[in-house]
Amino acid sequence: MTALLEMEAVHAGYGQTSVLHGVSLSVPDGSVVSLLGANGAGKTTTLRAITGGVRWTGDIRFGGRSLRRMSTEDVVRGGIAHVPEGRGILTELTVDENLRLGSHLRRDTKEVRKDYDRVFEYFPVLKERRGLSASTLSGGEQQMLALARAFLMKPRLMLLDEPSLGLAPMIVRSIFEIIRSINQSSRVTVLLVEQNARIALDLSTRAYVLEVGRVAVEGESEELQGKESVRRSYLGY
Amino acid sequence: MQAFLQQVVSGIAIGGIFASLALALVLIYNAMGLVNFAQGEMAMLATFVAYALISRGMSYWIAFPVTLVLAFGGGVVIQRVVIRPVERAPILTLVIITLGLATLLNGLAGFMFGYVPRSFPSAFSAQTIDLLGVFISYRDLGVIVVSGLVLLAVYLLLQHTTVGLTLRAAAHHPEASRLLGVQVSWMLGLGWGLAAAVGAVSGIMVAPILLLEPNMMQSIIIYAFAAAVLGGIESPLGAVVGGLTVGVTVNLAGAYIPFVGGDLQLAVGLAIIIVVLIIRPNGLFGRAATRRV
Amino acid sequence: MLQRIRGAPPRYWLVGVVVLFFVGFPTVISSFLASEWAQALILAIAIMGLNILVGYSGQLSLGHGAFMALGAYTSAILAHHFKMDIVATIPIAGLLTGLVGFVFGIPALRLSALYLALATFALAVVTPSLIKRPAGLTGGVQGIILTQPDPPGFAQSAYGFLTGTAMTSDQWIYYICLFCALILFWFAWNLVRHRPGRAMRAIRDGEVAAAASGVNIAGYKTLAFGISAFYAGIAGALFALATGFVSPDTFPVSLSIQLLVGAVVGGLASIPGPLLGAIFAYFLPIESSQWVPSQSWIPDQIASTVKNAGPAVTYGAVLILIMIFAPNGIVGLVYRGYVALNRRLRGAADRETGQMPPNPQTV
Repeated sequence: MTALLEMEAVHAGYGQTSVLHGVSLSVPDGSVVSLLGANGAGKTTTLRAITGGVRWTGDIRFGGRSLRRMSTEDVVRGGIAHVPEGRGILTELTVDENLRLGSHLRRDTKEVRKDYDRVFEYFPVLKERRGLSASTLSGGEQQMLALARAFLMKPRLMLLDEPSLGLAPMIVRSIFEIIRSINQSSRVTVLLVEQNARIALDLSTRAYVLEVGRVAVEGESEELQGKESVRRSYLGY
Repeated sequence: MQAFLQQVVSGIAIGGIFASLALALVLIYNAMGLVNFAQGEMAMLATFVAYALISRGMSYWIAFPVTLVLAFGGGVVIQRVVIRPVERAPILTLVIITLGLATLLNGLAGFMFGYVPRSFPSAFSAQTIDLLGVFISYRDLGVIVVSGLVLLAVYLLLQHTTVGLTLRAAAHHPEASRLLGVQVSWMLGLGWGLAAAVGAVSGIMVAPILLLEPNMMQSIIIYAFAAAVLGGIESPLGAVVGGLTVGVTVNLAGAYIPFVGGDLQLAVGLAIIIVVLIIRPNGLFGRAATRRV
Repeated sequence: MLQRIRGAPPRYWLVGVVVLFFVGFPTVISSFLASEWAQALILAIAIMGLNILVGYSGQLSLGHGAFMALGAYTSAILAHHFKMDIVATIPIAGLLTGLVGFVFGIPALRLSALYLALATFALAVVTPSLIKRPAGLTGGVQGIILTQPDPPGFAQSAYGFLTGTAMTSDQWIYYICLFCALILFWFAWNLVRHRPGRAMRAIRDGEVAAAASGVNIAGYKTLAFGISAFYAGIAGALFALATGFVSPDTFPVSLSIQLLVGAVVGGLASIPGPLLGAIFAYFLPIESSQWVPSQSWIPDQIASTVKNAGPAVTYGAVLILIMIFAPNGIVGLVYRGYVALNRRLRGAADRETGQMPPNPQTV
C-alpha cells in the first residue's frame, strides 16, 4: 500500500513554545491510522500542522505533494477534511447550512445529491433537524453533523480529532461504526486522534503513540493491543 | 392628520437611505466586529464618481450600476491595502484606522472635486401624486423603491446564495470556515466591497436632497449609526427597521417638537444612540453575546 | 498599540532643557509666533488628557473636542456675562468640565470600547448644533468675543528687566498656557507613575485580571474620564483666552480628530508624546497652507483646494500609516532607535543572551 500522507521529522509549536519535536508518521492509502497519547502529547498539534493551522518545519507530503507553505484553505481544497477539536460546528448557522458548507466547493452535483442521501442514511436525525440552528443540537448530534459535513467534502483523507470526546458510550460506538463504514465503502483514509485507545485500536489498522511531541511507539494496532507493557504504560487500560 | 402622514412618508423615504448606510455598517461589523467610521465618506466618494460619470454624459441608469461596481472594487481594494495589514490588531487600532480613512477620503474628495456644493440629478421628478389623500413625490417613492430593492438584493445574496453562506460562515467562525475551504481573507474583502456598494446607494439617493459636497454624509452617518445601534449592530434586518424608525422619528421630531426644529434633528440621532446604548445595548434584534470586545 | 514603552528612564536634564526652551522661546520670536506656540501648548494639554483616557486607561473617545468646547464656553460665559476675570475662569472651566466628564464616564462604563467610540464620535458631530441652541447664553452662531487681558505689572517689569522690551498680551497668554501645561504634564507624570496610573494600565491590559487583583474598575475608569475631561476643559478655556473668541464652528468634529492624530502621532501611553504630537498636529496644516500658496508655480485654484483639503489628506494618511507601521508613534520610534543604537554600541555579546524583543502585537 502506498502512503497517502507522510510526515517527516516535523517540528511545530505556538509562538515560543514548541510542541512537536520531530514527528514522523505515514498513513497508507485507504487505511485507518490512530494517533494516541496523553493530554498535551501533541496529537491535536499534529493534525493542525497538516492543515496549516500551526507553523511547522520538516516535511509533510499528501499524495506525493509537499504541503509546505500551503494555506489551510488550499490544503483543504486538496482533499483533506479536518474535524477539529470541538468539532468546528458553525453554531450561528443552521444544520443544513453547515452541511452545504461541506459540499460548497464541489461541482459534481449528481454525486453530491447521492452523498446527501448517504449522509441522511447514516444520520437520520440530521434530516429531521435540517432547518434548525446548529446550536440546538446535542453534543452527539454535533459530532454527527461534523462527520457528515466532512464526508460531504468528498475528501481523500479525514482527520478526526477525538470524535468520542464527551459522548455517551453507545453514541461513541455507533459513530465509530459509521467511521468504519465511510472508510470501507467510500475508500476514505482516516487519521484518528483519540484518548480512548481501546476503541481507536479496534478500528484502526496501524497506530502511533505520541509522548511529549515524539513518537514513542508505533506498530500494527493488533500488535499494540496485545502487548501488555505498551498497554499499561502508554494506553492506560 | 394628513400633514402627519406626509411627515411619516417622507420619514420613511429618508429612513430608507439611513437603512442602506446602516446595512453597510452591519455588513462590516459582522465580517470583523468593527464599526467602519469611513462608511459615510466611502459613500460620498462613490457619489462623486457617479456625478463625474453623469456629467460626462452617461445616462443615470447606466451610471448607477457602474458606480456600484466601482464602489465594490474600491471597497475590496481598501480592505486589501489598509485593513488587511492590521486585521488581527486590537479593536481600537482598527477604529482609529477607519477614522483615518474617513479623514483621508474626505480630504481626497475635497482635493479632486472642491468644496462647492453641486446639485446632483435625481432619476425621479419632484412631482407629487395623491395617494389616499397623502401627497407623495415621485422622488420619495423612488427612494423608497430603490432602497427596498437594494435591501432585498442583499438579503437574497446573504441568505440564498453559496457566496452569502460562505460570507456569513467566515464572519462568524473564521477558523472553522478555513477548515471547510472558505477563503476567509477574501471573504473579508468581499464584505468590504459589498458594504461599499450598498453604502454608495445611500449616497446617490441622498445627494439630490442635500447637494453633493465632501461633508455631505457627515450627518447621514450619525443617523446610520443610530439606525444600526437601534436595530442591533449585527442584524441586517435590524438595520432596516432601525433606519426607517430613525427616519420617521427624526422627521416627526423636527416637525412637531418646537425645541428640536430643523437644526437639532441631528441631536435626536445622538439621543437615540445614547439611549439605546445605555438601556438596551444589543438593540432591537441583536443577540446578547458580543464578540471581540 | 497602547503598550507601554518600557525601560528608558526619564532624562531629567532633557526635561530641564525642554522647559528652559519653552520659557525662553517667546523672548526671541515675534509676538505672533508666540501666540501660535501658545495654541500648540493648548493642544498639547488637551492631547495629554486624551492620552490619559485612551493610552493609559484604554477607553477611546472621539469626542474630546466637545469637552474642549464645554471648557471654552464655560470660561467665555463667565467672563462675558458675569464679568469675571478671564484668567480666574480657567480652573473653574477645568473643574466643571472634569465633573461633567466624570458623570459622562458612568454610563460609559456600560459600553464596549467600540460603542464608546461611536457615541463620543456622534457627540463630537452634534456639538456645534447643540452650542447654537441656547443663543442667549452662547451667542448662537456669532459666538462670544472676549477681551484679552493685558500682562499684569509684575510680569511686565520682570519681562522688561530680562529682555528690555515690553511684554505683549500674546506673550503673557503664552506664559499662562506654558504654566498650565507644565503643571498638567507634571501632574500626569505623577499620576501614571503611581497607584492610579498602574490601576488604569491594569484595566487597559485586561479588566478581568485587574478586577481579580482588586482594582476598582468602575472607579478608575470614571476617574480617568474625569481627569481627561478636566484637561480638555482647561485646554478649552485657554483656547478661548488665546483666540479671544469662541463660536460653534471653532469646535467641529475635525478638532476631535486633530486631537486623536496628535495623541497617536506622538505616541499613546507616554508623557512626551502629547507634546510632540501637538506640535505636529498644530503646525502641519498651518505650514502646509502657508507653503502651498507661496509656490508660484502652483495655479491659484489648485493651491486653494490644497489649502482646504491638504490637512485632511495628511491627517488621514498619517493616522493610517502610523497605526500600521509605528503604533507607538514618534516616542515609540525614538525609543526603538535608542534601543537599537544601544545594542549596537554594546556589541554582539548582548545578542547571545537570547532575550526576546518585546512582541509588538501584545497589548
